[in-house]
Amino acid sequence: MIQIRNLHKSFDQLEILKGIDLDVQSGETVVIIGPSGSGKTTFLRCLNLLETPTSGALTLADRHLQFTPGRPVAKNEMLALRRETGMVFQNYNLFPHKTALENLMEGQITVLGRSKSEAREKALRLLDKVGLADRADMYPHQLSGGQQQRVGIARAMAMDPKVLLFDEPTSALDPELVGEVLKVMKELAQEGMTMVIVTHEMKFAQDVADRVVFIDGGVIVEQGPPAEIFGAAKHERTRQFLNKLSL
Amino acid sequence: MDDRSQRILEILSSSFWPLLKAGIEFTVPLAILSFVLGLAVALLTALARLSGNRVLSGIARFYVWIIRGTPLLVQLFIIFYGLPSFGVTLAAFPSAVIGFTLSVGAYGSEIIRASIQSVPRGQWEAAYSIGMTYRQALRRIVIPQATRVAVPPLANSFISLVKDTSLAAAITMTEMFRVAQQITATTYEPLVLYSEAAVIYLVFSTVLSWLQGWLEVRFSRHVAK
Repeated sequence: MIQIRNLHKSFDQLEILKGIDLDVQSGETVVIIGPSGSGKTTFLRCLNLLETPTSGALTLADRHLQFTPGRPVAKNEMLALRRETGMVFQNYNLFPHKTALENLMEGQITVLGRSKSEAREKALRLLDKVGLADRADMYPHQLSGGQQQRVGIARAMAMDPKVLLFDEPTSALDPELVGEVLKVMKELAQEGMTMVIVTHEMKFAQDVADRVVFIDGGVIVEQGPPAEIFGAAKHERTRQFLNKLSL
Repeated sequence: MDDRSQRILEILSSSFWPLLKAGIEFTVPLAILSFVLGLAVALLTALARLSGNRVLSGIARFYVWIIRGTPLLVQLFIIFYGLPSFGVTLAAFPSAVIGFTLSVGAYGSEIIRASIQSVPRGQWEAAYSIGMTYRQALRRIVIPQATRVAVPPLANSFISLVKDTSLAAAITMTEMFRVAQQITATTYEPLVLYSEAAVIYLVFSTVLSWLQGWLEVRFSRHVAK
């Protein structure tokens, strides 16, 4: 589903990503872990071009993009790629002037050109799926953080993406609200959604990930099934990072 | 009642309708037309400033610099009395509309730019992440949120504009203040006439303040405090 080759990203002089290669299979759930400043969020944002990689190649759902320094990506290619992906943000980024239902309908109507009734039907079905059918007409500020994030996931799903990207989806939540969001994500994983998740929830990674990728210093240090990474990491840096977390 | 009071009452009652008529026929349309056109100029100028295109943003900066740095009255004189030297002769009303539009455009562009920048970056990103173009994100997501921020200062500008239209008297436009001057010239009662005009301006401004209050409530309905 996704092929990334030798991906680099620099901000001015500072190189954040120093050559990343990664393949994600269709239906796979890949969890990316790593210390703050390691480049994992930047990497995720490169996948839907919220950040434009400096160089390298990205293939996502049969769309191939080659990045060359100093040459911006064509707008239509950028839009086409974004329409294959959905993103869930740390701070939800729901549209505050729209109800939960309207948040889900907006992109369907504006971007996909769906009819209002079609968009509404789909939106209601997805809100029901994330357990918020009764909150459809509420505005984001009337919802708890966990509810807002579930709307965020449903909003991304409403666009029928081939890949869902999660940028620390539970980091802004009160601890007691984390579970309801992870539960929705787990269900999606089990249904065969292709997901790339940046998170600090190691328990979730252990339970749900097909593969865990450890990024540090802008490179993939190691990757493998969760049992291997959490049980018997090969690299010293990975072990150090995991040890710090369990303190 | 003595003769003096009698006379003042007569002047007040005989001048009230001509003043109000000039206000409704010229002051209000001039203000509304200039404001609507000015907002369009302001939005385009703000977008040019934010575009990241050096040429566009340079032109926008230059325009704002000129308009903000020179007196409105002088600008009106240049348009009405000065442009004929270039062969461009405009009547008082269009001259005034152009002058006030440029003024609203310059000051308004800064308000709109600030209000667009006040919308969190994450809102753009969310819009982009669902595949929106810049235009779609701007129109559907950012402007509706920026509007809430822009309403109070823009309402301020509009109220200022209503009062500034009195400057058009200096380029021969028979708006409300000019009519007050004309009646003063025949009655020799400046205090009465100018106070009367002031009261009518005050009524206009007050109505607009109420409208501003209503708009603010309307646009902030769904936003947590």
